[in-house]
Amino acid sequence: MKRRQGWLFFIIFLLTLSVYLLINYPLQLGLDLQGGSQLTLQIIKEEGKVTRDELEAVNSVIDKRVNNLGVSESNLQTLGGDQLILELPGEQNPLVASRVLGKTALLEFRTQKEGTSSDLKTLQLLRLSIKELIKQYSTGEKSQYDANSLKVIQDDLKVIGQELNYSFTSNDLYGKLIEIKKYVNKEITNLFIKTDLSGKDLINAGRRQEQTNSNWEVLLTFSNSGGEKFSEITKSIAGTNQLLAIILDGESISEASVGNQFANTGITGGSATISGNFTAENARELEVQLKGGSLPLPIEIVETNTIGALLGSKNILKSLYAAISGLIFVGMFMIFNYRILGFVSVLSLVLYGFFNLALYSLIPVTLTLPGISGLILSIGMAVDANILIFERIREELYDGNTLTRSIDSGFQRANSSIVDGHITTLLSCFVLFLLGTNFVKGFAATLGIGVLISLFTSLNCSKTILRFFTTYQSLRQKNLYLPRNNFSN
Amino acid sequence: MKYNLELIKNKRKIIGFSTVLILLSLLGILYSTFNTSYKKPIKLGMDFVGGNELRIERVCEEECSSFPPDSVLEKLREISKNKNVLNNIKLQFQNNNKLISIRTNYLSNEESNNLINNLDNIVGPLNYESKNSRLIGPKLGKRLLTNCVTSLLVSLFAISLYITIRFDKKYALLALLALFHDLVIVFGIFSWLGIILSVEVNSLFAVSLLTIAGYSVNDTVVIFDRVRENLKSTKEGYNETIQLSVNESFRRTTFTSITTLFPLLSIILFGSYSLFWFSLALSLGIIVGSYSSILLAPSFLLKDKG
Repeated sequence: MKRRQGWLFFIIFLLTLSVYLLINYPLQLGLDLQGGSQLTLQIIKEEGKVTRDELEAVNSVIDKRVNNLGVSESNLQTLGGDQLILELPGEQNPLVASRVLGKTALLEFRTQKEGTSSDLKTLQLLRLSIKELIKQYSTGEKSQYDANSLKVIQDDLKVIGQELNYSFTSNDLYGKLIEIKKYVNKEITNLFIKTDLSGKDLINAGRRQEQTNSNWEVLLTFSNSGGEKFSEITKSIAGTNQLLAIILDGESISEASVGNQFANTGITGGSATISGNFTAENARELEVQLKGGSLPLPIEIVETNTIGALLGSKNILKSLYAAISGLIFVGMFMIFNYRILGFVSVLSLVLYGFFNLALYSLIPVTLTLPGISGLILSIGMAVDANILIFERIREELYDGNTLTRSIDSGFQRANSSIVDGHITTLLSCFVLFLLGTNFVKGFAATLGIGVLISLFTSLNCSKTILRFFTTYQSLRQKNLYLPRNNFSN
Repeated sequence: MKYNLELIKNKRKIIGFSTVLILLSLLGILYSTFNTSYKKPIKLGMDFVGGNELRIERVCEEECSSFPPDSVLEKLREISKNKNVLNNIKLQFQNNNKLISIRTNYLSNEESNNLINNLDNIVGPLNYESKNSRLIGPKLGKRLLTNCVTSLLVSLFAISLYITIRFDKKYALLALLALFHDLVIVFGIFSWLGIILSVEVNSLFAVSLLTIAGYSVNDTVVIFDRVRENLKSTKEGYNETIQLSVNESFRRTTFTSITTLFPLLSIILFGSYSLFWFSLALSLGIIVGSYSSILLAPSFLLKDKG
């Protein structure tokens, strides 16, 4: 009896500890409960697997970009060997993040090949007319463009396409416009030769508004060696008709000539500006990308989940309703069928709930919707162990054994079945946790923790509480443990 | 204690009933594989094929005015820059026109944002706090599918291994037979749901199958445990002992199922919509699982007389 009393104090101690933990370390809620966005980024590598170093490198670039974007409380983690998960809590639009993160942002400086001046002129002119068409199209659609102007754009585009000998892959007009603009930019890039100056030689990037118009330009600051390279390059083409191109991800975004006055020293001072008709937004995005450096491998955003804050709090409420009503249903059922024993199981269920939640805040486990459903489901499984034991106790009582004996052998004989059952469920949880996605992991974690805790609460806590009850003479009548005869017969 | 399931008498009927269920399930799976537009054993949801799902509420003074979905789509087509976005679009109004739910092919974040802005212009104002949007690329979808199938196979293998080590060959084989019986039937029901009601399965469905697997084996193991125990000490005949064991475990198995069904029912009634089909699949699995462990698996243990 003494040993059991020790357990009773231990359980009360654990309960106090749990309550303390829950008050001081609140539960971490997943994005589906607090609202926010989650982006899954996939690293793309044509051949072979992504190595650890590459993953690290991509991770650090993305991390820098996210920080420079100024999103608050974001969380970046790697998933599997080749994915990253970025969480943006609250009402932050994932759009900007996705635009900034998805680009490789490989910055190159190239000098023009000799004898390509006329080709470049043609391409630049074409690019200008394409931009004009895009502008027409964008302004046109706001005021419900008429079929006529649409036809004009279409015809112009056709002519340009023929001139470039280019076959379109997209079907709609806007897609075609964007596509051919890219193509022309790439063609321009091909007229230039690589130099050894690249985005790696930058130490900073900034932006400012141009003085003459409302466009923005991006400022580049080179490292010492970068500045030297830059002056070398500019020196070599100063005063010639060769241009310097600034190329981002294979597309030329700006071509400029270097004046004759730089023929002796090149452009010194270690800085440069890119002016390519940027809007304030574009300029900022490029700034963030350049500051973070270029990605060693391209990435693609393969998944975006967005949940509004209102929906999140609704989800919490709904889960709470479900959990509480589930508990009440189960509790009523158990008390109706097992009377005192049922009451014991309800008490150990409550303990079970507290221990579970306390462990979540201790480990910590981020609570998500599937996680909550795992917890709610594990209520049923936790009760299962109790039912197995109580059935045995009942049988022992029917066989005419004393109460204490029945309780002892009930717990003993149910043991092996309970352990077997728990192990099969744990196996499933384990596999789910190893192989599952984030979403599934939440479920596996809570169900697995629940199953483990229920081993303690249903075997140990129920027994202790039951023993405690039976120390009272008035609670030792057998008929309090046997269900009404009219029910079982 | 007076449960008296006449297992011995009804062995044929039980096995016949299960055979019919299995055949119906297989029929659904075959029909779904060969005779539907998606040509898969079960209708795969967005998790596995990729796409865009958007749910957002409108802000209305009292009641939300109704819009015919076709006219909304027509207007969307008029003002959208990128027409590709609108291929295969499905639009529905729910909750008294308050909730808009849209499915399209996979969109980039940019395209999805434009779509919402355009929608706001047509049926707005929209409540962005209530937004729920999921964009899943087709590549990720394929990966998730392989992931789920591997998880299922690995954990079925692990459970089989555990059972074979833990029990005699005969018991292990029957427990696994009951397990596959349950999984095939639940899978079959969802194949039919896909054919008839266009219900799709997502990664949570794979999770529910796995949970059902653990549960079903657990149930069968408890009954077989009882059979083994009773066979050791019995004076009665073999078949009678098995029937007795089943009747002795009957209360436990049904009670456990009921106490597990209660929380699931709560999720179905009160929980978030994203857990609805998941809880339903689990409930079905638990019902079928209890049936197979009480009636089917022990029936196979019975020896034919004569």
